[in-house]
Amino acid sequence: MRRRNYLKTAGVGVAGVLTAGCLQVEQGDSEGTNTTSGATTEGTTTGTTSEPDGPLRIATYDSFFGDEGTAGRWLKEQWEADHDTDIEYTAPSNGINEFIQRKQQDVGIDADLFVGLNTPDLVRVDESLPDKDLFDDLRADLTNDDDVKESLEVDPENRVVAYDTGYITPVYDSTDVDNPETFDALLEPEYEGTLLAQNAQSSDPGLAFLLWTIHEKGTDGYLDYWEGLLENDVRVLDDWQPAYDAFLAGERPIVVSYSTDQVYYNSEEELPHHQISFLNDQGYANPETVGRFADSDRAETAAEFVDFVLTDEAQANVARLNVQIPATTTASLPEGYAEYAKEPPEPVTFTYEELAGNLDEWTESWAQLVASN
Amino acid sequence: MDRVVGPAGREQLTRVTDWLSRAGGRLADDADRLVLPAVGAVTALVLAVVFYYPVWTVFVEAFGNAAAPVRDVLASEFYMGAAHGLFAHPARVPGDVLAWLASVRVHAGWSGVLPEVWLSYPAVRKGLFGFTAWQAALSTLASVALGLPGAYVLARFEFPGRRTLQSLTILPFVLPSIMVVAGFVATFGTNGTLNGVLTALGLGKVELLYTLEVVVLAHAFYNAPLVTRMVASAWENVDASAVETARSLGASPLRAFRDVVAPQLLPALAASAVLTFVFTFMTFPIVLGLGGLQLATVEVWLYARVQQLDYETAAALATLETAVSLGLTYVYLRYEARRAGGGAANPLPRDRLFALDLGDVKGVLVRAGVGAYGVAVAVVFLAPLASMVLASVGGLSDPTLEWWRFLLEQQAGSRTQPSVAVRNSLLFGVGALALALPMGVVIAAFSARGGRGRKVVDAVLMAPIAVSGIVVGFGMLQSLVFGVELFGYRVSVVGAAVVVAAHAIAGYPFVVRNVAPMLAAVDDRLVESARALGASRVRALYDVELPLVWPGVLAGAAFAFALSIGEFDATVLLAGENAYTMPVALKRYLVDRAAGPSVGPAAAMGTILLAVTAASFVVIDRVGGRYRP
Repeated sequence: MRRRNYLKTAGVGVAGVLTAGCLQVEQGDSEGTNTTSGATTEGTTTGTTSEPDGPLRIATYDSFFGDEGTAGRWLKEQWEADHDTDIEYTAPSNGINEFIQRKQQDVGIDADLFVGLNTPDLVRVDESLPDKDLFDDLRADLTNDDDVKESLEVDPENRVVAYDTGYITPVYDSTDVDNPETFDALLEPEYEGTLLAQNAQSSDPGLAFLLWTIHEKGTDGYLDYWEGLLENDVRVLDDWQPAYDAFLAGERPIVVSYSTDQVYYNSEEELPHHQISFLNDQGYANPETVGRFADSDRAETAAEFVDFVLTDEAQANVARLNVQIPATTTASLPEGYAEYAKEPPEPVTFTYEELAGNLDEWTESWAQLVASN
Repeated sequence: MDRVVGPAGREQLTRVTDWLSRAGGRLADDADRLVLPAVGAVTALVLAVVFYYPVWTVFVEAFGNAAAPVRDVLASEFYMGAAHGLFAHPARVPGDVLAWLASVRVHAGWSGVLPEVWLSYPAVRKGLFGFTAWQAALSTLASVALGLPGAYVLARFEFPGRRTLQSLTILPFVLPSIMVVAGFVATFGTNGTLNGVLTALGLGKVELLYTLEVVVLAHAFYNAPLVTRMVASAWENVDASAVETARSLGASPLRAFRDVVAPQLLPALAASAVLTFVFTFMTFPIVLGLGGLQLATVEVWLYARVQQLDYETAAALATLETAVSLGLTYVYLRYEARRAGGGAANPLPRDRLFALDLGDVKGVLVRAGVGAYGVAVAVVFLAPLASMVLASVGGLSDPTLEWWRFLLEQQAGSRTQPSVAVRNSLLFGVGALALALPMGVVIAAFSARGGRGRKVVDAVLMAPIAVSGIVVGFGMLQSLVFGVELFGYRVSVVGAAVVVAAHAIAGYPFVVRNVAPMLAAVDDRLVESARALGASRVRALYDVELPLVWPGVLAGAAFAFALSIGEFDATVLLAGENAYTMPVALKRYLVDRAAGPSVGPAAAMGTILLAVTAASFVVIDRVGGRYRP
């Protein structure tokens, strides 16, 4: 609760005049422990069981809650209809990195939950904070997490829980090229200058596709495979958006994207231009998880909210609105949606243990190979 | 009750009012004397809080453990290419160079008609830094080639809409890179406008996308306007009487241009070229969007290292990047200091562009050249802009008002309302302008005087354009947003006023570089006379110098405003959820999936951004032109 006690002041010396109204002075305590600071300016409740008032603060990414018809908005409306606690979303521009930095510098965490963490993110969290806990043991407080798919259990320490997943696959224009079907086919002359991928250093689908190739070709073979892709003129753009825009503009007929692509493009004219290619009958799973900040003073409410997210009804709606696949085995998708949200015959993904200690080196070697070409 | 003031009383009153008016005069003098130091002090304080301290918190990482991170980068072949040998194994360098020279071969042959001679030599690896500098040099050349004719047309010809066109020159400056990438794909892509026109003309298609050429062209799109605007305003400041004098003394038009006009344009040309190089040296989204990771620059790696929280390498890369940019700026400033011309507010007369006299062969040729230039401008500038506007209505094939309706729905009450974004952008822009102009003019007045030590300080004051935006954002996050521990309190500095300060800091170097060369050209004796007649320094600056350099001030103002409108990173970090600007709104519409994976909503917001900015530029120039001091 100490984090809520801001003493807003203005006019502290010259700096105060300059930055009138935006200088925030907070009671200092550099340790991230649960001691309560003495001085307060608002009425707060102190005690062991009751939680402070105010909304449940959820940090996430922009597109989760930005618009009407997003998963975040749906969750907020449904939750607030039955609960006294409101939901407040924020989208820090640096995502999870902002909280890692805050923790590194012992600055308070002003959120209770983080929504949208994937396995590589979790690896980075733990490698950047070897002696500190950013997330706490949320799973111990959940009652609704038994039906989460086995393949989406990514955290060996059982802190975070998956709430949906995407499968990364190539999407191709069947009026221009045939389904490549295998990784090796992409090296053939037929597929020269056809593939658009993304920078694994900065893009989630880009990283997932790189990890998929490592999964298939092994740590000693993936760079050779990429050498072949580069010779066949693959283009590695910075992120999903420019790559997908170029695909839509007909610049190239294959783009690394999501297996749910046809949800957007399912009219008779569009379908031939939007076909999913499960290379080697696989797809790389990129589960999205939610974690509870160790500094949160709303542990109970936060756990209750996550349990709500894992109900069948919430799972179906989150997946539909987020254009993903549910994380639990019991949720069923609406008819029209399931037809176009495709799932690969064999989902593959790297576990946390496999990525730990390797992720940065794999990515950096790959990026240096591409940039030197 | 009335009191009659007697003679004695009246005398006393006169003495009091005399004293009061003298005191008032002294106070006014004192106030005058205090203006420059006060503006200087505020400038220094704003710079220290919002720029130097945050950036320092990042750079300090590069110097941990005896600058090991910097040395690691310098000794890496990936980063430095062949030059890494200088740092990794300096003793072997002479041998390596000799070995390389020894393998250079001169080939001679007979092609059947003519003898042929060519050189072959082993390729030299440029490394990340080498490639970055190489593409920046090419981009600078392209920007000058595309921008200089524009300055000529704007400064030397009169035609309907000239003033408006000049005001709009720097419009490309404010466009978010993501929209430029989309516009370039639509224009230069396989199925783009250019290929459509070429096919219609019966010519073959060109494959431009994902090449260095199209990246360089996109850099020219951003930076040629800089060259045009800066050189055009210098051209307008050329003293016509000096040219007339030269002509009356028998100089040919070419000679008069070379000896009188060119020396006054060169500082502006060099300044814009240096700025272009510095910008394109730190390019990031454009290379990745139009070229791909194969054409990666230093900034791409810097971003990736920051994402991986590898602060040491990131800081080392940023330090070297800044060293290159600041070093170049310093060299330029030394050069600028040596140049001096005689500027005055007596501009050259303009020719009428559309007054064609068929008997005048030279005039016809020049106008044909201007026409060809107009076609190039249409392809490089208008086509990408037009394609964005077109994308907001679904393109020609599939016209729709869906995306504009989407904006209307957002307006009706959502997280991101277009009108709020417009209002915030304008407020920040005007605030940044109000802060950046005095800051820039005072620093320009400081910069315009010579001295080696002063040039070093001057170069350091240009740092806001020489430090990577990624580093500034990162530094701001960990110092301003997280706050600093002071006397047991954590003090964080965020909010609208800080956004304005951050924007002003990004913008003032443009005011300085536009104004300083012109200020240096003002005859010192004018200022000295004013001072001898009792004017304070600030009076002399305001009454004598500013009117003489007003075109530069206006150009600087337009740049400062444009930078504020287009700024994204600092705004997102410092403004908070509700103080979003137009580019922030655009980005939100782009990533929000509710509208599907279409650029339509973003293109519609981009169109609003264009329209609002265009109107603002015209207003700045018109209002600024009227209130010339």
